[in-house]
Amino acid sequence: MVTITNLVKRYGNLVALDHLNLEIKEGEIYGLLGPNGSGKTTAINCMLALLKYDKGSIQIMGQEMHPDSYAVKKNIGVVMQNVAVFEQMSVWENVDYFCGLYVNDRKKRRELVEEAIRFVELEDYRKMRSGKLSGGLLRRLNIACGIVHKPKLIIMDEPTVAVDPQSRNKILEGILELNRQGSTIIYTSHYMEEVEQICSRIAIMDHGRVLASGTKEELKSMIKTGETVTIEAIALDEKQLSEIRDLPHVFQISYNEQVLKICLSGAKHNLVRILHYLEENEIPFGRVFSELPTLNDVFLEITGKELRD
Amino acid sequence: MLHLIKYQFRQTVREWSTMFWALAFPIILGTLFYVSFGKWDMEEDMEVIRTAVVEGADPNEASLLFFEEIDSDFDMIRTEVMKEEEALKALREDEIEGIFYAGEEPKLTVAKSGLEQSILKNILDTYLKNTELIQTIVDTHPEGLESGLEALADWQEMTEEISVGGRTLNPNISYFFALIAFAALSGVYLGIKGCCDSQANLSALGARRCITPTHKMKLIFVSFLVLFFIQFINIMILTVFVRFALGIDLGGSPGEIVLVNLLGSMIGVSIGILLGSVSRMQLGMKMGFGVLFTLFPAFLAGLMFGDMKNIIEQYCPVINRVNPAAMLSDSYYCMAVYNDAERMTRNLLILAVMSIVCVLAAFVVTRRERYDSI
Repeated sequence: MVTITNLVKRYGNLVALDHLNLEIKEGEIYGLLGPNGSGKTTAINCMLALLKYDKGSIQIMGQEMHPDSYAVKKNIGVVMQNVAVFEQMSVWENVDYFCGLYVNDRKKRRELVEEAIRFVELEDYRKMRSGKLSGGLLRRLNIACGIVHKPKLIIMDEPTVAVDPQSRNKILEGILELNRQGSTIIYTSHYMEEVEQICSRIAIMDHGRVLASGTKEELKSMIKTGETVTIEAIALDEKQLSEIRDLPHVFQISYNEQVLKICLSGAKHNLVRILHYLEENEIPFGRVFSELPTLNDVFLEITGKELRD
Repeated sequence: MLHLIKYQFRQTVREWSTMFWALAFPIILGTLFYVSFGKWDMEEDMEVIRTAVVEGADPNEASLLFFEEIDSDFDMIRTEVMKEEEALKALREDEIEGIFYAGEEPKLTVAKSGLEQSILKNILDTYLKNTELIQTIVDTHPEGLESGLEALADWQEMTEEISVGGRTLNPNISYFFALIAFAALSGVYLGIKGCCDSQANLSALGARRCITPTHKMKLIFVSFLVLFFIQFINIMILTVFVRFALGIDLGGSPGEIVLVNLLGSMIGVSIGILLGSVSRMQLGMKMGFGVLFTLFPAFLAGLMFGDMKNIIEQYCPVINRVNPAAMLSDSYYCMAVYNDAERMTRNLLILAVMSIVCVLAAFVVTRRERYDSI
């Protein structure tokens, strides 16, 4: 569906995209995950032929993308990071206007507009001016305007920024539904939970490059961390810390303000072994919990920094 | 296309701040002009110059015919043949501005001094000068009489172009012509705003519109069409307000006024569309240029200082030939004062060509545009 080859984009001395390569297949929800400034939006803008780039090629649906590739554009829907609607116009008028930029047949357009409004659950706000909508509702309208013409490829650039959790969940459910209806989706975010929740394949980006890509399971299997155990309200001395460090499969520990974090490589019964050690040495402790690796752990291990840095 | 036109129209007219500057502001400014000039001044100056023609002691058929026919050449002068006593009585009672005595040595009698009396004196001077000139030619070079008369006819045509050949005398009227020209050029703001909504580097809306399969030229053309129409309605409302609410006769037929307003609206919006399409400038800078492209030409056309256009005409006339505000203001003069259709047509043609060039240039600039940064 989308092939990006060796894409380079510079802003003066700053390299925003550094030989970026992406291959997005039909029917996928492809996540572009990376911190702010990693090049996600720049990549999207290049894909849409909005930005000039210095090198490389972008093919969408088998055709090189240009500003006048109108046939390709007809099959693309975009939900921009910034809300792009007319504040002076009502919800219905906005959706109808943007639909009209793709669909000429009035009857068909009416059906599509109604469907899009129902899809984002804005039926009760049809006649309300978009300038009066709350942030969450405005985001939903933004999505309706981007997907109303039922495009084959939907590009969503951080559609949930500044959205309340309830609206966010609705948006994510909506994206899954669009995918079920046959759309290929490119989804950029710096919220790893969202990407993990909906994306079938993920590319982790930083400094304009793809650091790793694959399914979430593939990405997690690339790193050493298999499990992280956290023990709160625990008092340990240096000898005990050293003994814990020497337990099987433990490859890293951190101990701060009576909170112990133990990173273990993938193996069974890690938690049992640790608890057994604490019991044997009669060490009192508070809450204990175990976490499987997240995409943040993947990012942390690959780049040495947190995803939200 | 109709779909785009409908929504572009709705979106523009619902933007109150834009509509305020495009419609309400010129109306407020016009009202302030009217208040500061005073109602009495504006109305008094609108009247025609009533003049009596009296057959003098030494009758002369040619001069009598000339003075009787003045009102067919000059719309603002009304002549009436009277007996001397009757004319003097009318002059004393301020019913007429002057008396022409037609004879071998024509004379003018006035009761006071003023613009009207100066115009009557100029007419008499013109007649005396021409008579003397013809007499000299007859005496010295009778063979050149025909070419001399032709030259005089040409000269008369020229003087009519820059003198009062029309319907109004009011010097303050120039402010209202410049005001309408300024209001027409304020279409620049509409054009810039309309174009920025199609520029990906200036607004999210622009980005969204750029990625649709709708041809860029179609978007620009629709913007131009709708904004032009809205601006034309604004200017017509202003004109109607000035004419009927303020009672200022702008001269010209309704058809001529509509034509000048059409071209005025077109040039304002076209310049705005072109400025809006130059992507390297940010919106603030474009608006800054918009101010420059409205206020400065309007200043040169006499909005702030009534005589400015005449001064430029005297020292650097080419500026008046390319200044849209001056051409618009001049077109109004052609209708109301000069009564010169040829000159008005020339102005309007230049404005039409400038508008077309601006819109085409805007399309060329944006048609395959990609941005350096968004």
